[in-house]
Amino acid sequence: MAKKMRAGFYSLSCCEGCELVVFDLEEKLLKALEFVEIVDARLFDGNHPNEKLDIAIVEGGVQSELDKKHLEEIRERSTYLVAFGACATIAGIPGIRNSLPKEMQAKLNSKAIIPVKEKVFPVPAVVKTDFVLQGCPAFTHELLDLLVALYHGKKPVLENIPVCKECKERENPCLLFEGIPCLGPVTYAGCKALCPTERAQCIGCRGFTEDANFEALRKRFRKMDVDERIIHNLFTYFNQNPFKKEGE
Amino acid sequence: MIQEKFVLKKENLHAFLEALSKDMEVFVPCHNENGATTFLPYNGQEIYTAAQTFYSPKQALNKPSEKEFFFGKKSSSVEVERVKQNGGKMIFGIRPCDTHAVKAFDKLYLEYGEVDPFYREKRDSTLLAALVCTEPCSNGFCHSMGTQEPTGHDLLMVEKADSFYIEAASSKGEELIKKHRGLLNITKFQKPELNFECKKKLDTRNLKEILDKGFFSKVWEEEGKRDLNCTSCTQVCPSCYCFLTLDKFILNTENSERFREWDSCHLQRFTKVAGNHIFRKSRESRLRQFVMHKLSYFQKNNDMMLCIGCGRCISVCPVGIDLTEIAAKIRSEFE
Repeated sequence: MAKKMRAGFYSLSCCEGCELVVFDLEEKLLKALEFVEIVDARLFDGNHPNEKLDIAIVEGGVQSELDKKHLEEIRERSTYLVAFGACATIAGIPGIRNSLPKEMQAKLNSKAIIPVKEKVFPVPAVVKTDFVLQGCPAFTHELLDLLVALYHGKKPVLENIPVCKECKERENPCLLFEGIPCLGPVTYAGCKALCPTERAQCIGCRGFTEDANFEALRKRFRKMDVDERIIHNLFTYFNQNPFKKEGE
Repeated sequence: MIQEKFVLKKENLHAFLEALSKDMEVFVPCHNENGATTFLPYNGQEIYTAAQTFYSPKQALNKPSEKEFFFGKKSSSVEVERVKQNGGKMIFGIRPCDTHAVKAFDKLYLEYGEVDPFYREKRDSTLLAALVCTEPCSNGFCHSMGTQEPTGHDLLMVEKADSFYIEAASSKGEELIKKHRGLLNITKFQKPELNFECKKKLDTRNLKEILDKGFFSKVWEEEGKRDLNCTSCTQVCPSCYCFLTLDKFILNTENSERFREWDSCHLQRFTKVAGNHIFRKSRESRLRQFVMHKLSYFQKNNDMMLCIGCGRCISVCPVGIDLTEIAAKIRSEFE
């Protein structure tokens, strides 16, 4: 048996929900603890700063100087850094701030309790990130797969496929034909089309695929007579506005 | 050979399916819990025969993700354990076009090169009860592809007002009829004549040569611009067979598994090779691969087109990309 991997969970600006869902693994978590040692995590047994880590699992986006310093310090002492959950990978819900009009942003920022940066940054935009695990909340089975793969010395495969693929595998009727704007065609899969299967549109919590055709999807929404404001809100709900012009 | 012809009265349909279910898993056309029409194992649900199902019976033969075998390190050796197929299957009410898709699967997995043992096992235990269409479906063009008559089926059925006309088409089908003779009535009618015209058409004269000539046509670029690459067309296509083989490691390596997963030529990963190089990086090149494989490439190695004219890719496309329109445009440009 190889040595146990040392892991830590860290929360930047977020709701800490991604760390909480790790407990959903239940007996699998106990099994994982046989080869992973959680040395630094607030929700497990409190913080133990300055420990050297094999894997740092970071949730939340970078909103303030404090966050940035904390993240850089974590990066320094970890071999692998995993961005965990929508806030860490694509700025998520806090990132809505980035798509607001300038004057609204200024008004909002002035009301913050601690001084915040002008924009919210996802983890990969600030430090080198080895793996991204998408979702709001993040999918714990993906984290487990990643830990197992790393433990066996394998490089985990995280494929760039759209939600539609998994939606069709589950044999759902397409929501776009029912006049419901759905981000399935441009969103990174892995969720087994959770929302469209329950007849709710995909809102893109797992981030956009690398080769997404935003223009064609927006055209499709417009053909369905979807309100421009709703289209904008949908595309910027979890993600950064893909239609943004240079310098905006 | 059984000389008599039979009809299955509609009031006996559920009793017939019930009886079949005792010996095998019977996939029937029906609505699934989300309201889409597809093929699911029979458990007393209402049968949908009004039109072609939105999803093809492809999943009855090839699941989107299917385990092949388990493997694991046991002390000093590696052990492999095959996943067993459980019992026979029947696809009840498979449309003629879809039986041609099964034929294409047979060609690829069983006749062309190596025999795939996993498919062999599944196919040998699968019966096809073909239900012939009496009306054209919304986007099908089977008359253009010559797939309006079923192939490789065991039973042939035609729906009439209050009954199904049934005749045996293979020795396995004959056995079935003999076994369930009590639920069937003898009829003196012959197989009803079918005459309808498909709404959509695809001109297949020299299509292969014309498409090959049109490889660099502007049409691909135009259509590629609106292509979402959502992979829906390849997922619903009954003859799309590409798959990816993957290993999944479990915590202790003793029960790791190898499985295959449906792949799609609309994905960049489809042509990803060492060094992360991707052959078909552009959208239009991937769309072109899909259309060309259906209408040209498969024909080079086999005596049939891979497109079987069911029109499902047209029905499912959110942006309305139409394979027959693309072929017609290229024909007008290069003929």
